[in-house]
Amino acid sequence: MISEQRYWNPVLETLPREKLLALQLKKFKSIFGWAYENSRFHRSLYDKAGITPSDIREFKDIARVPKVEKSMMRCIQCKDPFPYGDCLCLPLEEVSNFRQTSGTTGQPVYQADSWQDWDWWSECWAFILWAQGYRPTDRVFIPFGYNIFVAFWAGHYAAEKIGCEVVPGGVLDTQARILKIQELKPTAMMGTPTYMLGMAETAKKLGIDPATFGIRRITCAGEPGASVPATKKRMEEAWNAKVFDHAGATEIGAWSYECLDQPGGIHVNEALFLVEIEDIETGAIIDEPGRRGKMVITALDRMAMPCVRFDSKDVIEWDANPCSCGRTFRLIKGGVLGRMDDITKVKGVLLSPVAIEEVVRSMEGLGNEYEVVVDKFGDSDTISLKVELLPGNENNIAQIEAQLKHQLRLKTNLGYTIGFYDLGKLPRYEVKARRFKDLRKGH
Amino acid sequence: MTEQPDIEKLDDQIQLLKKAALALSEMGDQFPAVKKNTARVLASIKMMEINVSDVVRLTEPDITPPLQR
Repeated sequence: MISEQRYWNPVLETLPREKLLALQLKKFKSIFGWAYENSRFHRSLYDKAGITPSDIREFKDIARVPKVEKSMMRCIQCKDPFPYGDCLCLPLEEVSNFRQTSGTTGQPVYQADSWQDWDWWSECWAFILWAQGYRPTDRVFIPFGYNIFVAFWAGHYAAEKIGCEVVPGGVLDTQARILKIQELKPTAMMGTPTYMLGMAETAKKLGIDPATFGIRRITCAGEPGASVPATKKRMEEAWNAKVFDHAGATEIGAWSYECLDQPGGIHVNEALFLVEIEDIETGAIIDEPGRRGKMVITALDRMAMPCVRFDSKDVIEWDANPCSCGRTFRLIKGGVLGRMDDITKVKGVLLSPVAIEEVVRSMEGLGNEYEVVVDKFGDSDTISLKVELLPGNENNIAQIEAQLKHQLRLKTNLGYTIGFYDLGKLPRYEVKARRFKDLRKGH
Repeated sequence: MTEQPDIEKLDDQIQLLKKAALALSEMGDQFPAVKKNTARVLASIKMMEINVSDVVRLTEPDITPPLQR
């Protein structure tokens, strides 16, 4: 029976490492050559660096290929053909899909995909969903505002490709979505961690326990939460479902997935992507586990707007251990740990906001929402944390505060001013949350 | 351990399918319904090449062409 098959692709997902590396090298040469031949932007970038496709002979040559940064894409897109600029490798009439980045880090970038690229997007997602146990018998509810952001579009088409029944939970508000879930009894769902927790909270307010819905698996994306143990635990308890992480991006594709074994990390789909980790200080490629760096990534089969050595600014590290699932694709330990843009120095200490999330959500007595504000008074940085107190804990504030401060000191090496709020008072987010505010830039 | 699929045989069938689809595409130049549906078939064939044929051709000089038209 096909549903009993563990892997979407039993060949690629278990390919011996030496063959996998040979495949990656060969495909890198091919996509590099394609970008060089068909994109004026890439040709100019590579000509300036004095590198051509024939210079790529072995793996170490790849690091000589200049990286592409998001800021470059924004400049390119001022040029013709509108609106993609001169990195478009196909005539405009072969573009079948427009998407754009969310603009979290600035002006959105426009992304063109051909029909083949769009099929490739859903293929990437098919690896993800099959690895997380989605099968043709699943009814998948997607509470997502189907729009110009790629988000769960490809998840929708991949679920169809697998043979699932897909329920698009598009232009419904949260309450209507909850009632639809109650009515249709889907077995799986996709969403951002923020929204999955928010939906559960809304259901409880309606007097409905989301744990009784019969959702067995939830695939998260858009934020690191599903790889943050405390956040994953809260979601799994709220929905009585297994929660899986996946990381992807509009300009890259869906490059990674957590498998059913939940190994505390995400597999890189190394048959479709080449991930390099670069030392933040020296730029050297890190191949050994346990050292954090930023991800430089190539989508090996994306054609209309190639993604060749894209500087994603995601902070990741290799896991030392292979996964018990039998896949030979390497694991990223703990998922995406943050973005270079989010990691900031406070009082001289490097702070990653994800570390705060892990502390807040591992504390009993606190709600899911929080907000971090960094400011400056005189020459000193200040950092304050707003949290919501769950009802019934009003007499434990002093104890919770002491515990919270202690854990934050341990995990982030910083002292915080804590503000307690009633449940529901902090802002709620539908897609990606913006819980970290650095007000120092305004001073 | 489950038996590995015979990827050479799978690739043979994929190439036959591709040949037929490319022929159809050529014949469909005056027939939008044929031309455009074949374009989708070719994209699906490319996905099968990514899944199967690229591994079969690992030792050959070039992998499958990047774009199906």
